[in-house]
Amino acid sequence: MKAIITYLNKPISIAPLAMFRVLFGFIMLISIVRFALNGWIKTLYIDPQFYFPFFGFEWVQPLGPLGMYLMFAVMAIAAMMIMIGFRYRAAVWLFFLCFTYVELIDKTNYLNHYYFVSIVSMLLIFLPANRSFSVDSRLSPGLKVDKVPRWTIFIIQLQLAIVYFYAGAAKLNAQWLVDAMPLKIWLPAHAHLPVIGQFLKLELTAYFFSWAGAFYDLTIVFFLLNRRTRLAAYSVVVVFHLTTALLFQIGMFPYIMILATLIFFSPEFHEKLISKINSWINLVAENSGGTEALPERQLNYKKGMSWFLGILLVLHFSLQLLIPLRSKLYTGEVFWTEQGYRFSWRVMLMEKAGMVVLHVTDPETNKSWEVPNYQYLTANQEKMMATQPDMILQFAHYLEKQYQTAGYSDLKITAESYVTLNGKRSRLFIDPQTDLTQVKDGWGAKSWILPMNQPKQISVRHD
Amino acid sequence: MNRINTFAGCLLVALVLLVYACDSSDDGNGTSPTPEFDQAGMLENYADNLIIPGYNDLQADANALKSAADVFTADPTTANLENLQNSLKSVRQSWQQVNFYQFGPAETSILRSVLNTYPTDTDKVDQNIENGGYTLGSVDNIAAGGFPAIDYLVNGLGDSNDEIVVSFTLDIQAENRKTYLTDNANFVKSNIDLVTDSWQSSGGDYRGTFLDATNAGTGVGSSTSLLVNAMIQHYERYLRDGKIGIPAGVRSAGVPRPMATEAFYGGYSAELLVANLQAFRDLFTGANGSGLDDNLIFLDSEALASDIRSGLDQAITEAQALTDPLSGNIENNNDQVIEVFTSLQEVMVLIKVDMTSALGITINFQDNDGD
Repeated sequence: MKAIITYLNKPISIAPLAMFRVLFGFIMLISIVRFALNGWIKTLYIDPQFYFPFFGFEWVQPLGPLGMYLMFAVMAIAAMMIMIGFRYRAAVWLFFLCFTYVELIDKTNYLNHYYFVSIVSMLLIFLPANRSFSVDSRLSPGLKVDKVPRWTIFIIQLQLAIVYFYAGAAKLNAQWLVDAMPLKIWLPAHAHLPVIGQFLKLELTAYFFSWAGAFYDLTIVFFLLNRRTRLAAYSVVVVFHLTTALLFQIGMFPYIMILATLIFFSPEFHEKLISKINSWINLVAENSGGTEALPERQLNYKKGMSWFLGILLVLHFSLQLLIPLRSKLYTGEVFWTEQGYRFSWRVMLMEKAGMVVLHVTDPETNKSWEVPNYQYLTANQEKMMATQPDMILQFAHYLEKQYQTAGYSDLKITAESYVTLNGKRSRLFIDPQTDLTQVKDGWGAKSWILPMNQPKQISVRHD
Repeated sequence: MNRINTFAGCLLVALVLLVYACDSSDDGNGTSPTPEFDQAGMLENYADNLIIPGYNDLQADANALKSAADVFTADPTTANLENLQNSLKSVRQSWQQVNFYQFGPAETSILRSVLNTYPTDTDKVDQNIENGGYTLGSVDNIAAGGFPAIDYLVNGLGDSNDEIVVSFTLDIQAENRKTYLTDNANFVKSNIDLVTDSWQSSGGDYRGTFLDATNAGTGVGSSTSLLVNAMIQHYERYLRDGKIGIPAGVRSAGVPRPMATEAFYGGYSAELLVANLQAFRDLFTGANGSGLDDNLIFLDSEALASDIRSGLDQAITEAQALTDPLSGNIENNNDQVIEVFTSLQEVMVLIKVDMTSALGITINFQDNDGD
């Protein structure tokens, strides 16, 4: 224990941390500009008339057109400030709060890498990443340090290790390893690509990618930690993530990971990189930059602060280790029920599609009808809802409220929904008899999700 | 130890690539090629045997509609009216063959909305006739133009053709009404011309784009993905809901809306439904050529392909049993109509969920990242 604490407090060059800050700010800036240019602020946060908030975060609401554009503008500026290290602490707070707020508005848009960005920006709040190679440290040289405790870099590495490890562990299932699913479906879709296309249609390739992907996720961090294997491992990181960028529509995730994993490189590597960038900047600024030999300075935390941060981080990483395991508390196949699916680094694991028809019955008149989902939801929301039970329930509750305002009192709303998982024929997903207006959302097991392996024919025909 | 592992890993990657490279280089040397679905052939079949001929027929019928409207307005007799009514019916029938293809040129000119938004807003039509100064195709006139507006004008202004002719002769708005009729016939024709020409190599050559190698595969934005997304969206919203669900009241709190049938005044909505369903079946099977069902069979989803075919067959049989005018069928025996809706919905699941999944196609009516 003592050895661990000594190790974690060992002074180490701040260069990797400072470089990480620069790269993180940079890639966030790009991500946000790209998001805006794609028109997604409007289509995802302004156009919808209904949003799917996360359980417990129902108070998080979109802020209207002006508010949302402003929010993203603030995020972009904050990302830039993080990159150059100007008013760093305020910038990273602002970025974390805005980004997380936006992600909490609608679970339709949940992506694992958005979750990752939220976590990293939260960790950055507590890290002295602006104490070197930053505008802050130039403006007030008293801030500048050369060495920081080892843990400030270690926690980012640990967070990355958790992401990779759980992503790999999630691939250790029969579908992925024995059937090469869903890659067997996904890869041939790109069979027309030049050069690699001819391989992608081969079944062998799907198996190779499945096994290599699992092996990569489970082991890459060890190879990155080891000095002798680092360079080779990083080339694999680049090839792996670029391949996924080429084949799948996963946005910025590959690039974020390619830059983030540089944190595993040695201080010397980052120092060299920084001095190179510094000389470019100085060239542009026509400032020959006097490199006076200052005494080396080391950042030390006061005892109280150490304890505070220590407890906070132990708590954070305990949660990080436990949250992905919560799906074990529920029965049934997690890919099917998606109970405990999110926030667990299950990345690109399944081919799932569905369709849900909500039946409304008015017991007073005995009339029944079907809800035209597309009148309430965007195409994207409808698609995401179809395979995620908690969203179906949220939508049913929203409809109940809509109909109540329209004057109906006690309606029954049931879901007729079909889902296909990894190329299997579609099955009924939600119990078509359950009146969803009577069901409360919560952490408890959702008994109204039908099991994946069920006798095929359950009639829902309203004869 | 670690070093060895990594080297092994890298070596493995390099080896596999090498093996693949060698494999591909002796393509010509008699190694049997991997069996492959001829996707290009399927798309070519769609373009050359279904889409382009479909548009050509539609264009010819639109020309006939325009001539018939010209003849009738020049000489408003019951005989000329009947001729016009028949022309309208023909062009609406042809429309059922191509209304799925809302991508590329048809999407650009929102062909389906401008040609066939129903039920038509008769108040707006009457207003336009009286006041003039309208722009057909503009947002506020979407429901006051195209086939349904013409349907109202040539079938809906009286109980008999004699009465209808009076609206174009003795009625105080007769001249304005004639203008509105010919304006609409011209409007229909020019929109159809635009899209039809865009597919020709002499026009926009969208056929070239559609068949271009860069748009192969089933990824987002590929031709197959565009086609499948368009056909599913059409099936869901315009076939299942527009032609059946909405008029039968499935979408309006269980209260039927018989006036929302497609050809309410002409009274042949069920006939149009059957035509569209049969055309949809041809789209799925590729008619006499290679189609999506063949693609599914290649992917070992033979049972799915046959379930979709038989599901469509059942829906067609049930739709054929409906009687025109469909509005009357809804009023007298709506259960029969809802039965057709249910059958359509069963097929809906198979094409929207199972088929897209098997083909590796993403439903992307809207774009976004995933992970």
